[in-house]
Amino acid sequence: MIELQNVTKRYPGNREALTQLDLVLERGEMAFLTGPSGAGKSTLLKLIAAIERPTRGRILINQKNITQIPKRKIPNLRRFMGIVFQDHHLLYDRSVFDNVSLPLQIAGYARAEIRRRVRAALDKVALLNREKAMPITLSGGEQQRVGIARAVVHKPAILLADEPTGNLDPGLSAEIMQLFSEFNQVGVTVLVASHDLDLISRLGKRIIRLQGGQCINGQAQLA
Amino acid sequence: MQASTRRPIPNRPNSLTRFRALVREHLRSLVFSLGKLYRHPFASTLTILMIAVALALPACMYLLLDNLQAVTEKWDDSGQITLFLNVNSSEAEIEALRTRLAELKEIENIKYVSAQQALTEFRKFSRLEYLIEGLEENPLPPTLTLIPFEQAKQAGQLDRLVQDLGTYPQVEHVQLDLQWLQRLQAITEVVHRAITILGITLAISVLLVVGNSIRLDIENRREEIEVAKLIGATNRFVRRPFLYGGMWYGLLGGSLALLLVLLVLYVIEAPAQHLIGLYNSNFELIFPDLRQGLALIATSIVLGLLGSWLAVGRHIVRIEPS
Repeated sequence: MIELQNVTKRYPGNREALTQLDLVLERGEMAFLTGPSGAGKSTLLKLIAAIERPTRGRILINQKNITQIPKRKIPNLRRFMGIVFQDHHLLYDRSVFDNVSLPLQIAGYARAEIRRRVRAALDKVALLNREKAMPITLSGGEQQRVGIARAVVHKPAILLADEPTGNLDPGLSAEIMQLFSEFNQVGVTVLVASHDLDLISRLGKRIIRLQGGQCINGQAQLA
Repeated sequence: MQASTRRPIPNRPNSLTRFRALVREHLRSLVFSLGKLYRHPFASTLTILMIAVALALPACMYLLLDNLQAVTEKWDDSGQITLFLNVNSSEAEIEALRTRLAELKEIENIKYVSAQQALTEFRKFSRLEYLIEGLEENPLPPTLTLIPFEQAKQAGQLDRLVQDLGTYPQVEHVQLDLQWLQRLQAITEVVHRAITILGITLAISVLLVVGNSIRLDIENRREEIEVAKLIGATNRFVRRPFLYGGMWYGLLGGSLALLLVLLVLYVIEAPAQHLIGLYNSNFELIFPDLRQGLALIATSIVLGLLGSWLAVGRHIVRIEPS
């Protein structure tokens, strides 16, 4: 589902974030991406979401080469995935419901369908009773769950998360990771960047360790 | 994974739902952008006022000029030539002159006012009788008023006629009533041009005012734009509310401009009528009709849209999540 072939990403100023990285994530697989700060975790996710483009190498999403994807095709690629951010990236001038429904509005779903799906997504993250609330009135964990609901409401094939538990206490973090596992169980390919080794090693999923822009063990575990 | 099941994904929007969603999305943007103006009343009011003033100014001037032209057009019909004859001309001489003039192909009609009639008329219309009483003889000359044919009224032809008429011995002075009108029309033409240029300049300023407001708005909502793009929003989707915002600025600014114009006309209506009354003419101030009012608002909307389009154009494309 996600395939990186010999990918190098060099930022201006010659800082190399990723060096000749090879990585394959199968359809329906779930993996954690870990490593110290600056190891290239965020860069890897950004390349997959076409936020950044690789300096060298090839990236395939669902067997389609997105290395040189034209700008006008990027929106469609992103509708194919859901992205969860560490700092939620919620819009604070509209309700929880409106935040979660945004991907569906963008994709042009019918109103009844939007309502049904948003309710289902909020139910999944146990926030159905807060749909009319403004995000600012929610706790950090609740805001993150709204972010997750928004990332999955359009039933994406791929779910990417960048340090989704970065600001949360251990109990909440475990809940969030549990949520990701549940999405994976219904067939979503999940890739979560996290440095919380304790937590992710308990979940029994594949762990990809990055260091200095290179994969230390990812391919080994796959074998 | 849905894609692997090969079943059609249930409830995916088909083209009809997508079209309906697009219409709904347009309506939503329309309402949303209006709500945004409402939520920032100070900034919005300022922008709308600037647009209104910038449009009302040339519109007012244009309408006043229109009114002036309407007044002069009424007088245009007269277009007559007055011959002031020698005070010493005898009735026979005048009669002979009239016969000769009547033969001219340019002249449609001749009206004779004798010195005596002129005096009577003067008495009737002015309050200066006592001045005239004091005079020993009638100072007023007899006059002939010539009405030229319509087709003879072209400037060059009339000028030649005036020159010819001046050569008759009994004619003391030829006055072409059209002359001052022509001058007035020439002045109006100059003013008309000036207003047009002023109008264009102010239209450009409207464009810039709207463009700047929208640009600031885009800057303030940069984060929102980035989020929307991250979850698959197209540039078009992001652009839409801003374009509608510009349209609202135009609509509200244009409507306010129209109100200002009407207000100005109401204020000057009474004194204008008094002024025209002094010239023994009755005159109704021309107010903008529905078509002109709508044209003003439509112009404003187009300027608003264009202004926001200029601001949105490259700006939104450049905002990308990082």
